[in-house]
Amino acid sequence: MAHNFKTDLTVDWCPGCGDFGIVTSITQALTELNLDPRGVVAVSGIGCSGKTPHYINIAGAHTLHGRSIPYATGVKLSNPKLKVIVTGGDGDMLSIGAGHFVAEGRRNSGLTIMVYDNEVYGLTKGQAAPTMSLGEQTKSLTRANIFGKLNPIALALSAGYSMVARGFSFDMKQLKEIIKTAINHEGSSVIDILQPCPTYNNINTMEWYKQRVYKLEDDKSWNPIVTPEDDAKTSGEKFASAMTKALEWGDRIPTGIFYQNKAIPPFTKRLAKNVPNYLEVTPAEQRVSTSDGYTVVDPKETFADKILM
Amino acid sequence: MKTVDISITIGGPQGGGIDTSSNMISRAFAYSGYNVFGVREYHSNIKGRHSYTHLRVKKERPRSLKYPLDFLVALDPDTIFEHIEDVGKGTRIIYDNSIEKSDLSQARMIMKDTSDRIRHELEHSGDLMTVAGAISLMKKKGGIAIPIPFSDIVQKAISGGVPSRYYNTLGAALTLAISGVDVKFLEESIRFVFSSKEKVVEENVSVVKAAYDYCQENKFRTDNLEEIKRTPRFLLTGNDGAAIGKIMGGLRFQTYYPITPASDESTIIEEHEDLKWIASENSKLAKSGIAVVQTEDEISAIAMASGAAITGARSSTATSGPGFSLMAEAISFAGIDEIPIVITLYQRGGPSTGLPTRNGQGDLLFALNTGHGEFPRMVISSGDVEECIYDSMNALNYAQRYQLPVIHLIDKNLANTSDFIPEIDSKKVKVPQVARIVHSPEWRRYSLDTKTGISEFGVFGKDIFWMTGDEHDELGHVTEDSELRDKMMVKRFHKLEVADSEIPISDKAVLYGPENADVTFVTWGSQKGPILDVMEILGKEGKKCNLLYLKMFQPFPSEFVSGILSKAKMVIDVESNMLGQAANVIKLNTGIDITRRILKYNGRHMTEDEILDAARTIMGTSQKKIEVVLKHGA
Ligand SMILES: Cc1ncc(C[n+]2csc(CCOP(=O)(O)OP(=O)(O)O)c2C)c(N)n1
Ligand code: SF4
Ligand SMILES: [Mg+2]
Repeated sequence: MAHNFKTDLTVDWCPGCGDFGIVTSITQALTELNLDPRGVVAVSGIGCSGKTPHYINIAGAHTLHGRSIPYATGVKLSNPKLKVIVTGGDGDMLSIGAGHFVAEGRRNSGLTIMVYDNEVYGLTKGQAAPTMSLGEQTKSLTRANIFGKLNPIALALSAGYSMVARGFSFDMKQLKEIIKTAINHEGSSVIDILQPCPTYNNINTMEWYKQRVYKLEDDKSWNPIVTPEDDAKTSGEKFASAMTKALEWGDRIPTGIFYQNKAIPPFTKRLAKNVPNYLEVTPAEQRVSTSDGYTVVDPKETFADKILM
Repeated sequence: MKTVDISITIGGPQGGGIDTSSNMISRAFAYSGYNVFGVREYHSNIKGRHSYTHLRVKKERPRSLKYPLDFLVALDPDTIFEHIEDVGKGTRIIYDNSIEKSDLSQARMIMKDTSDRIRHELEHSGDLMTVAGAISLMKKKGGIAIPIPFSDIVQKAISGGVPSRYYNTLGAALTLAISGVDVKFLEESIRFVFSSKEKVVEENVSVVKAAYDYCQENKFRTDNLEEIKRTPRFLLTGNDGAAIGKIMGGLRFQTYYPITPASDESTIIEEHEDLKWIASENSKLAKSGIAVVQTEDEISAIAMASGAAITGARSSTATSGPGFSLMAEAISFAGIDEIPIVITLYQRGGPSTGLPTRNGQGDLLFALNTGHGEFPRMVISSGDVEECIYDSMNALNYAQRYQLPVIHLIDKNLANTSDFIPEIDSKKVKVPQVARIVHSPEWRRYSLDTKTGISEFGVFGKDIFWMTGDEHDELGHVTEDSELRDKMMVKRFHKLEVADSEIPISDKAVLYGPENADVTFVTWGSQKGPILDVMEILGKEGKKCNLLYLKMFQPFPSEFVSGILSKAKMVIDVESNMLGQAANVIKLNTGIDITRRILKYNGRHMTEDEILDAARTIMGTSQKKIEVVLKHGA
């Protein structure tokens, strides 16, 4: 029987929350990719979004607020055979965890990162998240937001992520396909997911988004993929058009894949150049002792450079 | 034969080759069959400020350093000014005669407060504010000035080039020549230090020969130093020891964010990441290595290492105070989620950035309490380079066996101590393999059905289970159930009791010396060596001393400690901090208050002589509550 990727836990998100659609998209993607459930791991931070791993029937770590990326990176780099998906809120990923978000762009470890973009801090009762627009006042705010809006797509592109996309939690068909592409993508991907929070965000509602979103892939000439064969000019142009699309917000909001660069080697392959057998027998799988239970290391051999004869 | 016990300080500007110079000296003595023990002192600066190495040479392995020096080797005026207090009867002061006129006010790299202090001292003794003045003061203390024409000697040896580039070699050569070390041993050191650069070797050897000739002509040379049969030894620092222990202990994933004095450990691991296996078990797939990852900050360092630990890789990170503070929340997470992770905490002088390149033991209480909430952790400490090796192996074992964060304390003084180790015993500590199995569906990661509090470990990649920073059920899902909460708390803390019962006392605390003594010293970390030396000196004077040396602070060996201390006649606590933190831990766990203390918190290493003096002061007074604060150190 096919593995059921949903757990039977009671989901305690508010009725109408966009998070439901995201979890469904994830589990459908996992099912359609027919992945070994023991070969995929879910890691999250803290927030409403952070509860996601408990609802997916694969190994999951619900870690610290803002720290999902480094925990997930540790899982991935110690066992590069695993697929690692990371879920977190916009506050989690782009405020408290922003340093890790940027650093992972440079590493390109091979994580599938989903930002639940609801423009608010859901679990702490609706404060402004970094994605909320300047001057906006959602119902739980006492005053209008006096911070500028952070652009997750533009940030992910400039941080160096090799795949950057946007989904909408009420378009599960498209979101599921994006997630599938991202999981199969060798490097790290960021999916900015427009996720209405009916409880605290009365501005960016499902209807508000439905009136604005459009799909990049509907334009048949849209080609965001950079391959190793592309020359610098072509890949530069693809990056530039992704950036241009990233800046579009307001009456029309693009969704779909903005950029996918298959030419950037993932961090795991870079590490493999220095660490013998790193990809074949991963750090998680290596033997540390011989059959007699003692270290596999011969100190006189390994530390010969420290011996004074 | 005459006993050899030579103390040397060689100093100069940071970036001026002091490390190379002290390496040459250490090796040349070692090639002559002697043992050398040394500590490196330096500013938080890359080029220009004063740095020095303090060495001690003996036939048997030295365990400590001492003042006054036998040699003060100054490669610049700052060294003369900074080390006035290290000079005593018979100290030979080797310096460049052209710097005699240098004025203290021109020594801009000496920190203003230090400079003011030296000015007062020179004023007080009625000496000039110059190198010559400082030398004059040193002579009054019994020092012997040996002014040397540095530039002439170098220019005679090599044509062209900047003479001062060879001053570090020259300083080493003069010291060794005067000590009577055969020139061939210094040549051998130079060949090693400049291994592949033939021309550099040649030039430096010429400088060495010129220096030896000069000392011969001027009759500076003492008798030839007796040669001893040399045996192969490891020349290691504390950082090396920790790195080696981790590598032997099965480390497969190390993370770090650069910080003094911790990052050297990670660099050393990286240099050895391609593991050479024990030949008999060598097969293609067995060949392996260690992934070392430089992270974006220390929060990431501990989080990444924790992530790796849950896939089954033995993982650790290394940091010092500022980075460790950032790790607090993730240590708490490792506690509740029972993640096997080792944090090597290199203590330096705090608080905040404090004395970033200087010694300190101010983080013990913090290590015992890092992170919010109550959770079990283990806190261990090392006191010499060999301990760094085996304690690092044990730390990885404890983390795995008891599934908790293990904090391993090493002080800066020890991290930067260099020592000769006769042997590394690969059979001293076993290295258990992490079980990588797919458990049956009944298996629960946080099973309460355990007699030890230790639930059977499972790894991501094999088992499906959850982890959460929230309180959780046996599967790892969030719970707020009041009864389950109690059970989980009890289960987790039970592991500490089990650890306490399973780990031999020798890994927790050691009593050195006789059971009954007039004086019982108590210490931890790098004061162990100097105290053992002090005990030997006092022993010869008929004073019976012993040392209660602490290695494990959580779980704490309360019974053993109170057994010794309740019988002790006079107890003296020795620590490199202001509050006597280990004494506080003892009081908390045993109720015994140690009121005689020798403390040092100026960031410099404790030496045999100053502990001895302080101990004598304490032993010579009827005062029961006394604190002697040690002040020495450039
Ligand atoms: C270090 C730390 N600071 C603060 C919090 C409190 N906190 C919990 S969730 C949250 C914000 C959640 O917002 P977001 O990340 O956008 O997730 P959402 O709930 O909107 O999905 C905060 C600040 C925490 N858990 N940890
Ligand atoms: S507060 Fe908002 S984000 Fe959180 S569960 Fe409710 S609707 Fe969803
Ligand atoms: Mg949010």
